[in-house]
Amino acid sequence: MNGLKKLIVKLIPPSRWQLPVIILLGIFIGLGLFIVKISNAASYLTDDPKACINCHVMSTHYSSWLHSSHRERAVCNDCHVPHDNFVRKYMFKAQDGLRHATMFTFRLEPQVIRIHEAGRAVVQENCKRCHENQIDRVSAINVTEENHKDGAGKRCWDCHRETPHGRVGSQASSMNNYMPPPEPSLPEWLEEYINETNSKSKGAKNE
Amino acid sequence: MSNETKTRKPWLNWLFFGATIVAVFLIGLLASSIIERRQETVSRLQFSKPIDEWEPRNEVWGESFPQEYETYMKTLDTNFVSKHGGNQMRRYLDEFPELVIMWAGYAFSKEYNQGRGHAYAVNDVRNILRTGGIDSNSMPATCWTCKSPDVPRMMNKVGVKEFYNSKWLEMGEQVVNPIGCGDCHDPKTMNLRITRPALMEAFERQGKKMKDFSHQDMRSLVCAQCHVEYYFAKPGNYLTFPWDKGFSADSMEAYYDKIEFTDWTHKLSRAPMLKAQHPDYELFKTGIHAQRGVSCADCHMPYKVEGGKKFTDHQIQSPLNNIANSCQVCHRESETQLIKDVYERQDRVLEIRRIAEKTLAAAHLEAKAAWDAGATEEEMKPVLKLIRNSQWRWDWVAAANGVGFHSPVEALRVLGTSVSLGEKARGQLAVILSKHGVKIPIQLPDYSTKELAQKLIGIDIEKLKAEKIKLLQTVVKEWDAKAEKRQGSLNRYNQK
Repeated sequence: MNGLKKLIVKLIPPSRWQLPVIILLGIFIGLGLFIVKISNAASYLTDDPKACINCHVMSTHYSSWLHSSHRERAVCNDCHVPHDNFVRKYMFKAQDGLRHATMFTFRLEPQVIRIHEAGRAVVQENCKRCHENQIDRVSAINVTEENHKDGAGKRCWDCHRETPHGRVGSQASSMNNYMPPPEPSLPEWLEEYINETNSKSKGAKNE
Repeated sequence: MSNETKTRKPWLNWLFFGATIVAVFLIGLLASSIIERRQETVSRLQFSKPIDEWEPRNEVWGESFPQEYETYMKTLDTNFVSKHGGNQMRRYLDEFPELVIMWAGYAFSKEYNQGRGHAYAVNDVRNILRTGGIDSNSMPATCWTCKSPDVPRMMNKVGVKEFYNSKWLEMGEQVVNPIGCGDCHDPKTMNLRITRPALMEAFERQGKKMKDFSHQDMRSLVCAQCHVEYYFAKPGNYLTFPWDKGFSADSMEAYYDKIEFTDWTHKLSRAPMLKAQHPDYELFKTGIHAQRGVSCADCHMPYKVEGGKKFTDHQIQSPLNNIANSCQVCHRESETQLIKDVYERQDRVLEIRRIAEKTLAAAHLEAKAAWDAGATEEEMKPVLKLIRNSQWRWDWVAAANGVGFHSPVEALRVLGTSVSLGEKARGQLAVILSKHGVKIPIQLPDYSTKELAQKLIGIDIEKLKAEKIKLLQTVVKEWDAKAEKRQGSLNRYNQK
């Protein structure tokens, strides 16, 4: 406790330096917050699938999911992060997220994105998590990424290859998608016209 | 403490100075990279050249979006026929001659066909006998409203009220490009957008705003601009949706009854009739697919892969012609099984629909017999109300596309009430006829073919056809010539 106090005292700059240091610290923290804002970092704490298309590299996966039946029941995180406990979920998210952010920032992303081993293990877990009742009578229930390598059986998507992203997964494959899906809007002339008739009919009622 | 600062070596100060520069530089670089890469999302659309805000020519949009345009042009295809639908023109009056009797005194008794693809929209509305010839043509321009991206262009130019208030013939030279890109898309961003006032006006009256809808909603709402029930409010033929009391056949009926709206007075029964348009959206909303979050586009415009590219198939058509990309995205059954499932439901809807049609045709003729026997207005009034409501409910299902498949249970419920009301009317007619000394059952005339039925209600089909040919060979040719001059080019599509 005493040591910590000493350290803090040692870090406090001499009084005539305090103002510039405060300003400098403010600049750094401000810059940090700016980056948090423009990168939409807070969204990564949620399960909103739109967080996954903050970077456009995921738009093919997002749009193929949006056109699949899984859209109605499962979002990205339901399949792609572990759900057995809270700590593991966020650890996994942080690891994956940092890797993705690094790859994207340095433009290292490949044309066709393939899932890595850690991700495969999680997806296999999650297929079984929801579909347990459909597969508890077949050997698929026992397959994990780990024992799959030892020849224990096939992963779910070794057969269900279209589920849910389809087989075509290159970044160039979904060229005209709206990413992110836009907010519905009216053409200007129509919006003006509707507002105009609205205020007129309200006026008529008041009379 | 101040001693420390003095004693720090100068090179250390320079090091701190340099490190700070590097740190700020890198943070700035990261920030600009994030901003730049987020911009890439926005600029993903590749335009070969900018599209004008009011560009109605689909082929101009197609230069920038070739896959979407090519599939759109396939709506010209007329080779697919399913059991009850498809993209071929089916002549409904030939198939169901009762309809001629049911629409006596109304233009639908002249010609009524299953619509072909969107690319035929303008040509089909020019060709059909309902829109008439040159002389004494009183059709309002409102009839053009759903046929072309030229419509919002003209509405903006002349005003919405003024558009509805002009004549169909007057607007003909302006409305030449069939339903297409600009009807649903923003030319700058390609976002889905609403371009027809009636839909938004109906939602405004319910207190709903554009921001209440999601992108998935929009994938149905762009269709709901037209595939809905509507009427032309008088005066001025102002296109209006009767949704203020609700979306069901019953609520719309209550709406029409309250404002005492009639589309026409029936020529035989003199009933104050309603004509349903195509409440596809309203019927669909009551069905299981809508309740499970499916949109129109999910089945009618599924995802398509071509040469490693994925895009939305703009050949808007019956999903039965594309089971693999529509139904089978969710349903794991075989194609044969899925088609069987659809036909089974449609067959049942059609079975009850045919009962309603036979009931209604008979009711109109029996009502005429009652008038002929000297029935009074007072006697007939409740009967005519029953006929009006019965036919409205039949039409609400019959006019919707898909033979009830959009919601088989609701379709059968509404048809059930139609048959019940129609038979009630016939029961009361029997009483009136007996009262006036007519022996029942009365002998009904033969209307087993379209020709017989049209003759019965006094339609001179040859005269109508001659007038139509004259229109097509003179006025319509002028429209196209003027449009070609105005636009610089004109795609006439398939004018056959």
